[in-house]
Order: sequence, then structure tokens, then C-alpha cells
Amino acid sequence: MATGSSQVTVPAGSRPLPSAPRGTLHQREVGLGWLLLMPVLIVMLILVVWPFMTAVWIAFTNKSIGREAEWIGLANFAQVVSSPRFGRALANSLIFTVVAIAMKLVLGMAMALALNQAFFGRNFLRAYLLIPWVLPGFVAYMTWRWFLDPLQGVANYALTDLGLISFPLEFLSSPATALPSVIVAHVWRSFPFFGVAFLAGLQNIPSEQYEAAAVDGANAWQKFLYITIPGLRHVILVVLMLSTIWTFNAFEPIYLLTGGGPADATMVYTVLAYEMGIVNMRLGEASAVPVLILPVLGMFIVAVSGLMSRDD
Amino acid sequence: MMSPMSLRMSRVATGVPSALVVLCLTLFVSVPLYSMVVTAVKTDREIYDDFTYLPKQPTLVQFERVIVRERFMVNLRNSLIVATTSTVVAVLMSVLAAFAVVRLRFTGRIWIARIILFKYLLPTSLIYIPLFLVVNNLGLTNTLQSLIFTYLSFSIPFATWLMMGYFRGIPPELEEQAMIDGCSRLGAMVRVLLPVAAPGLVAASIFTFTGAWNEFLLALVFINRPDLQTVPVKLAGMIVGDQYVWGMIMAGAILASVPVIALYFLAQRFVVAGLAAGAVKG
Repeated sequence: MATGSSQVTVPAGSRPLPSAPRGTLHQREVGLGWLLLMPVLIVMLILVVWPFMTAVWIAFTNKSIGREAEWIGLANFAQVVSSPRFGRALANSLIFTVVAIAMKLVLGMAMALALNQAFFGRNFLRAYLLIPWVLPGFVAYMTWRWFLDPLQGVANYALTDLGLISFPLEFLSSPATALPSVIVAHVWRSFPFFGVAFLAGLQNIPSEQYEAAAVDGANAWQKFLYITIPGLRHVILVVLMLSTIWTFNAFEPIYLLTGGGPADATMVYTVLAYEMGIVNMRLGEASAVPVLILPVLGMFIVAVSGLMSRDD
Repeated sequence: MMSPMSLRMSRVATGVPSALVVLCLTLFVSVPLYSMVVTAVKTDREIYDDFTYLPKQPTLVQFERVIVRERFMVNLRNSLIVATTSTVVAVLMSVLAAFAVVRLRFTGRIWIARIILFKYLLPTSLIYIPLFLVVNNLGLTNTLQSLIFTYLSFSIPFATWLMMGYFRGIPPELEEQAMIDGCSRLGAMVRVLLPVAAPGLVAASIFTFTGAWNEFLLALVFINRPDLQTVPVKLAGMIVGDQYVWGMIMAGAILASVPVIALYFLAQRFVVAGLAAGAVKG
């Protein structure tokens, strides 16, 4: 099986006992295998397959709560695709994803490289810098919402007292700063994940490589470029792709910080679908959104899972 | 060959930027955390009227208010019930499934492993509307059961995948030996494999519990009765209440974070091992 751990070289399945008749034992394994899988399969059928089939069906109807569904063909899809709000939300989702991931990559790499050096208090800082990522997401975003409060938030008091601004900024309620503020809050929450992942990867790069490079007169930048980056290639790729999935589909940061406002400046597709389906009860349209997104995202997920199941 | 002197110089050269990076990151991480903690121990007067960076009279009054006035203990209890129950169910089912996929040979197991990983990576924000339709059909809205049940949709794939990684790292010879000594397949799993995989079980349980404790979207969609809400939705709902709520909210946020942070630091070595086995390496 392709998904074995690299260190262990034993065969994946166990061999049948020498004295046992081969066929019977194998049949018993097959039966036991499916029996043990049965609870998980049933739950997944009810919680994933059935909902998606329902959603596909509802997407072709004008279903709302308390009303019978009526077949309306592709009208929901046409409505969603042609809506300028959906276009805006999709664009915001993409901007949010690309900018946030670039920042997480830079900060995460800086964190990993710095914490890979030996210095006093390193173990404490390793744990401390992880706190934003260990905190519940809703706690992180509510903390930021209060931190950036235009009237009483610490950010405005501090910037004013440092002489950097002369009047309080409305970080989350002015269209120019809302999306950048949400992105910074999200980066704060999730860059430590990049940091720990890269740090774990760094510790797998043999130090002999750096020593050899030092003997050859390589400078720090050359070592980073020719040893560190190639050594981290796989970790970087997996973390980037995982984070792309999570960031593109993020709901909490936007919902809790701005609710998509002001005037859709931070509206992303997940919050828009929530508004359509749960707030306005237009379930047909709301169901069309995941049905539209799933094929694209699904292909991406298949690519990531291939990478994560790789042997080396 | 570099002289000891230039070696020391190069250490200083990497040391100074590193120190600067660490300082900046520490500051970036600390300032919002400071804002949260300091707000939770201030009186409303010090939060809203005369702002000070450090509270003149640190007080626990905000904790008292959130617990007494907002009946926050009820929500903490709801979160505890939901997270514990769904963790126990998910881990039990996942251990059996992971054992089947890793140790038993039958056609289709590679596909099952792939599908489980696929589902683990499929975000909840893509399936909550379909799930809402189903929960609605089953008449489960406004029940804790709806959360316990639907949380299995992300905790089972995650726990199964994590346990698969653990089981693969344990040589099957141990169990084969036990079977030669007269154990059954399942007996060998319970008596030999599970004790060795205990750190994996701890990691899977902690991650699953934390995931359920932190879950926001499904809890927001399925439950709107304040006495049935879990902690995240209750706290978010307090924002739109009256104006002077942030002291209470930050106190509640700290109460909500304590179990998660405590679990994480108590079991750090298991969690890091779990992270290495699960999230980073395949």
C-alpha cells in the first residue's frame, strides 16, 4: 500500500499463519474488515453522501423552509453565477486566500528558522508562539474584533499614543482597511501552524549538509536556497495546499470580524452562502453554491491527498 | 576551513537577525493576547471611560458577570457534553476502521483510506448547507444531539486517518506473535496493538475533542436557543447585546480557552507526535 511510513519496512498486511488454511483465513479477514468498517461507513453515508445528494436535488428546486420543493431546472445556478455579489465574494475569497497564505509562508518560515537556532528561552518561546493557533478560532477572532475596536480598542489607543495616528481608525468598518484587517487577524491565528510544520521539517535536514556547505564557503543565503528550501520542499508543498483549502473555505474570521461588510468589502463565498441559505432561507440557491464549488475544490483535494499519501 | 573566529562571527551574524525575528513575532503574538487578558480583569469604567494599559484595580467582576448574568456555565456544560460524547464515539469507531484498513487484507481498503482522507480535507463550510437540510429533515434542529451527530462528519475521518498513521508505524509481528500464542485477531488488537498505540489514541482524542469544542459554523446553524448553544455561538451572540459587553466577552473567551490550552500543554508530546504523524507527514 502506497501510504506506509517511510521508516518501517515490514509488509503492510500480516501474513497468514503458516498452519492455517489460506482461503478460510483470508475470507475471515475480509468479513472482519468490512464488519469493523461498517459503523464508519454508515455514519459517513448519512453525514456526507445523503446530504450531498439532497443538496444536488435541492439546488434544482425552489425549496425554502416550510415549503415543498418545486423543480426549476438550472435557474438557481444561473442566478448564483450571474449575481454580482457572488462574483465579488468569489474574488474576495481568492484575494483573502492568496494574500493570507503568502504572509503565513513568510512569517512561518521566519519563525521556524529563528526557533531552529539555539538560544536561552527557546523552548518557552516555541510553546508561547503557538498560542494563537492553540486558541479556539472564535476566541482569536473575537479578541481581534475587540482589539481593533474604533473607540476603545487597544490598537487605536496604542497607535495614537505612539504618535502614529491622530484620530482613531475604523479598521473593520471602513472599506479600505476591512479586508486587510481580516487578513492580518487570520494570519495571526494561523501562521504558527506553518512555523511548527517547517520547524519539524528543518529538524529532519541533516546538519552535515550545512557543515559541508560552510566548508565550501557558502553564505547563509546560499545555504537557505540550496539546502533548506530543497529539504523542506515536501513539507512546504503539503502545508501550502492544506492551508489553501482551509483558507479558501474559511467562515469564522469573516463572519466574526465583519460579517462580510462594510458593503460586501469582505464578503467571501462561505458567508454569502450562509446569508442566502440560513438567513434568507433561499435553500435552493444556497445549495447551488457548494454544488458549484465542490468539483473544483474536489480535484484540488484529490491532488493534496495524493501528496499526503506519498511514500517518501 | 573556517577559523574559530569567523565561525563565531557567522554565528553572531545569524544570531542578530534571529533575535530580531523572534522579538517581532513575540510582539505580534502578544499584543492582541494582552488586550484580551487585560480587558477581562478590568471594570467597565476602566474599559470604557478612563482607559489605562494596566488595570488600576484588577478584578474578577467580568467573570462573575458572564457566569451569573449570562449563565455561561450552561453553555460550558453544553460544549462539554457535545465534545466529550462525539469524541468517545468517533475514537471508538475510528480505531476499528483504522485497524481494518491497516491490518486486514481485503479489496477496497485502499479506496476506503483514500475516501477517508478526502473527507478529512473536505471543509465543513462546504457541507453545512447539505447537512442543514438533513438535520432539518430529521427534526433535530435545536438539539445537542444534532451537534454530537454531525460533528462525527469531521472527527471520524480525522481520527481514523491519524490512527491509520499510528498503526502503520507499529510492526505487525507483535500481534502475529500474540496470535500464535492463542489470541484472536481482535484480541491481539486490544491487548497488543492498542497499548503500543496509546500515544496515538491520546492525540486523536485531544484533537477530536478540541475540534468539537471549537466548532462554530454547525453550532451557529443548528441551534438558536441560548440555553442550548455551545460556547462559541453564545459568545458571538453576546456581541450584539447591550453596549458594555466586551469585558464579559473577553472573560468568557478566557474561560473557553482554558480547557483547550490546558489539554494542549499537558499532552504536548503526544500532540506534537500526532501532528508529525498526521498533519505534516503522510
